[in-house]
Amino acid sequence: MQANVGSPIATVTASFIYAVRYGYSEPVINNDNQLRIFPREGEGQSSSHAEVWSIPSGRGVEFKDRFGNRVHRLRVMQPHTTFIVAAAGTVHLSPDQPDWVDLPISELTDLPESFEFTAISPLVDPAAVSQTAFAAAGDTNSLLSAVKSVVQWVYEEIVYKRGTTTVATTAGQVLEAGEGVCQDKTHLTLGMLRALNIPSRYASGLISGQTGETHSWVEFYHPDQGWLGADPTRGVILPPASDYVKLGVGRDYTDVSPVTGSFLSTGAAVDVAAIADVRLTETAPTLEDALHLLEQAYVVHNETGSPGYSLERPEKDL
Amino acid sequence: MVTVSSEKAVEFYNEWQDALGNLRPQYSGLGRSIESLGLENLAARFAEAGKQVDLDSVTFYLDPGKYRNMPTDFVPRVIPLEHWEAIAAGVEQRLRSINMFLVDLYAGQQDIVPDDVIYSSQHFYPEVQGFRPPKDVFVHIYGIDLVHLGDGRYVVLEDNLRIPSGISYQLKSRQMVEEMFPEFAGEYDILPYDIRNAYTNMFRSLVGAPPVPSPGGGALCRNQDPFVVLLTDGKYGAAFFEHRYLSEELDIPLVEGPDLYVGPDGFVYARTLDQDVKVDVIYRRVEDLDLFVPGLGEAYLDGKVALVNGIGTGAADDKLVFLWVPQMIQRYLGQTPILEQATSYNPADAESRRFMLENLERLVIKTRQGYGGLGVFVMPDLGEGYKARVANNILQNPLAFIAQETLDFSQHMVFNEQTRTLEPHHVDLRVFAVQSGDGTVSVFPGGLTRVA
Repeated sequence: MQANVGSPIATVTASFIYAVRYGYSEPVINNDNQLRIFPREGEGQSSSHAEVWSIPSGRGVEFKDRFGNRVHRLRVMQPHTTFIVAAAGTVHLSPDQPDWVDLPISELTDLPESFEFTAISPLVDPAAVSQTAFAAAGDTNSLLSAVKSVVQWVYEEIVYKRGTTTVATTAGQVLEAGEGVCQDKTHLTLGMLRALNIPSRYASGLISGQTGETHSWVEFYHPDQGWLGADPTRGVILPPASDYVKLGVGRDYTDVSPVTGSFLSTGAAVDVAAIADVRLTETAPTLEDALHLLEQAYVVHNETGSPGYSLERPEKDL
Repeated sequence: MVTVSSEKAVEFYNEWQDALGNLRPQYSGLGRSIESLGLENLAARFAEAGKQVDLDSVTFYLDPGKYRNMPTDFVPRVIPLEHWEAIAAGVEQRLRSINMFLVDLYAGQQDIVPDDVIYSSQHFYPEVQGFRPPKDVFVHIYGIDLVHLGDGRYVVLEDNLRIPSGISYQLKSRQMVEEMFPEFAGEYDILPYDIRNAYTNMFRSLVGAPPVPSPGGGALCRNQDPFVVLLTDGKYGAAFFEHRYLSEELDIPLVEGPDLYVGPDGFVYARTLDQDVKVDVIYRRVEDLDLFVPGLGEAYLDGKVALVNGIGTGAADDKLVFLWVPQMIQRYLGQTPILEQATSYNPADAESRRFMLENLERLVIKTRQGYGGLGVFVMPDLGEGYKARVANNILQNPLAFIAQETLDFSQHMVFNEQTRTLEPHHVDLRVFAVQSGDGTVSVFPGGLTRVA
């Protein structure tokens, strides 16, 4: 098998929007969130212009997390029952991913990336899917052939189906169910690659020409070439980088989820609507464009609602 | 008679006695008075003092629905002056450095703690960014948890920078011992302190009022200059006794959320029967200000009222940020830390995480945001099964935990009223300090000793 060779096209500029709206059953007086909704810098991407808005407005600070993702910590103190966050801007995308040389998997041990990206993470337990990984990859020691076999296996064997999984579905559960969406296929692929000792990470972002949800894919580590992409939902190794706007990378979805945080209210979050869009245009979208786009978003209702009242954010119980 | 010669007593450093069972010099006076009093009489006095604790409602609630008095041991802890001088200097050094760090942090200037660590902290408050508190004081009241490894080696376990509680129990138990066990104090030359004066002058400094001399530096409420109130979460709050005690001791009104409001001019007012009075300083004993007084956070950030302690101080008592306090001392004061701190590991760093997982059985694992003993896992005390679960949790959520080396810290004699014996128990020491707007720091001699 030959890896896709990048065609020598010039850098493309794309505009992007990510917008989300939350509705609450009772006023929220303090809404504190970490937003991962800006394109990453580097690795073939640079954003020339990006802005984040919230309604009501809040105060915030931008920083990079340990994976190098751009994070906005934003807190809204004004009481509200609807909360909107939008990010928009333009981003320069480099051409396709580089050509690369195959390596024996045995050369991937003891890399700095190995410890973090072959270990268990909240939604990916490599041990739970290792048998499938070995079955799919055979006894190959070739990095290229192993990645290809795993991506192909997940592409073919896991049925793309909406509505049967949640943000908390694990790689093991995806394997058991045999179906899911891009996030699920990505988690299963990660588990299988990690079981084969190939450092791999979750990438989330937007794909051009497809208005709607965010997309996810995997990146595996090559000691000479760095992180290379593979998309098990589309069944492609080294997908064209110019089609993908990467927002965040991490061990799994929990490291990159676009909005995480807590709010103070006697009520609950009862509906949420999110939408994403990428277009090959150099004009940066405005907040109005984002709000207009948000009107087309599908609203998810949460009839019971999870109680949002929390004086202290609850810790994970050991 | 007042020493214990069991093997257990010599396994750890004992505050009372050396390994041979001889009383340490600082305990000989106390040993003498207990001996002449006799353990039967000691038990009778304890019973009497216990009644007084009930009558005075000295409480600390764990379950808001249940009355719980503060279990108190009236046998004093004796800290020799040379130990105390090092503790006091170390506490002051730490408080000053941490406060300077917070000023830098919210000015967007700190580069000591990695961004990922500090900005992901639950108690980092984005809205404070760009704000400078009155007189550059974020942390006015500081509580620091120490353990004594022996021979004057005190080690810091934790800083408490938000609404540290406990000073009232230190004061109350000391006052009770002085009244009900006068012979104990008679043996010693005890360092005096005046918390009423230190607090009053700290409050006054925040509005630029000159200090008043000790004693008698109170009367804040009566002349209302400045007007200071203590904001409580109410009688079902864990430390309500302390709120009540301090408001009486400091002569400032005890108010609940509905007693205060933010006026149209942005200033904070207290409702009283005569008229509403503008509040200058709020000694707040609640975390979520806006839940109790809508708009209070904004009023503070607009400079309309001073808060004790300020908003956002918790970013620096995050257990992970603790790792960088020695660097803060180095940077801001150009000094070597006087107090050691527990050796800690940051699991967000892959190398440290690997080390933690390989040495898990000898470490203490703490959840990053817990406090008061919540979320603390002493691995040597837990079984193998637990180890795997904790390891799994660290791998999955590395930013949620820290690890510390276990410490063999000191024991003190605690009187068992049933058996009428003195038993060794591990103890810590929480020391309180006040930082004023005029640059002074008062570290109150002694502290609150808690028994494990």
